[in-house]
Amino acid sequence: MNDLAIAATDSTPAVRSDWAAGRLEMTGDSYPENSFELFQPVLDWLDAYLAEGTRPLALELQLLYLNTSSVRAMMDIFDALQNAHETGRAVSVTWRYDRDNERVAELAAEFKEDYTFPFDIVPKA
Amino acid sequence: MDQVDVLFLREAFTRQGIMLSFNGPFSATLIEEIGKALRKYMEGLAESASAVTDVFSAYIELSQNIRHYAAARGVSGPDAEATIIVSRDDTGHYVVNAGNVVLHEDGAALEARIGALAVMDKSELKAAFKAQMRQPRDPAARSGAGLGLIDLARRASRPLACNLKPLDEGHAFFSLRVVI
Repeated sequence: MNDLAIAATDSTPAVRSDWAAGRLEMTGDSYPENSFELFQPVLDWLDAYLAEGTRPLALELQLLYLNTSSVRAMMDIFDALQNAHETGRAVSVTWRYDRDNERVAELAAEFKEDYTFPFDIVPKA
Repeated sequence: MDQVDVLFLREAFTRQGIMLSFNGPFSATLIEEIGKALRKYMEGLAESASAVTDVFSAYIELSQNIRHYAAARGVSGPDAEATIIVSRDDTGHYVVNAGNVVLHEDGAALEARIGALAVMDKSELKAAFKAQMRQPRDPAARSGAGLGLIDLARRASRPLACNLKPLDEGHAFFSLRVVI
């Protein structure tokens, strides 16, 4: 599976994956009209990574504003992590946000409620 | 066409505290460009990051809902146009209004849905949002308004208010007001 290296646009985040290191990063705003076009390759990469081997996966997020269709798509990503976690795989999410943008922290906290894998919400200094 | 009365429009805009208004056909790109301008403008007013996000979000969800509706209904021309107005009321609350042409039955369904959301408190809205998120995705759904309307209701400081004005036998003008 090829790694992802998708540049950010005004309405879509940068996406970068590192198969060898077991890391997936998404950084920026996400409010495209059609979120599934953006998120499908991310889900495909994640599914392929989780289907192979037993190595851990770290999802590193610095997402800012998400429209509701991006929120829905993020749920699919976290669901995939939850399934892997339940089979004993080491998966984690770290969501970094600017301390003064409390809406991001609230959104991340609401997601965190629904999952049992390590989910850190980290304010940036 | 009558000459545009700029002074009349200016006075109406000022009286209503209108910061930004748009009327006509619009593309995904135009939504983004106007949204960027709105964000910059609000940041210039030194608004909190949360207030900027809430107003921006209401603007994005409303305009994308209208685009999705037009696409799902296969409408084009004047029926696919939108009217979007961002203003600030005299108590300092930001208000996002949006309107578009809908079929009567769709307008009635929206009215019912907004009525149902209007009586929910914040924790009921949160539960409704999470329940809606878990609904199977239906690509043929008439509108993407499922999550969007609940999100608007959650960001609003007052219940969502809507209005449905009949235009002709088949159509009505639906408008929605979100007070942040």
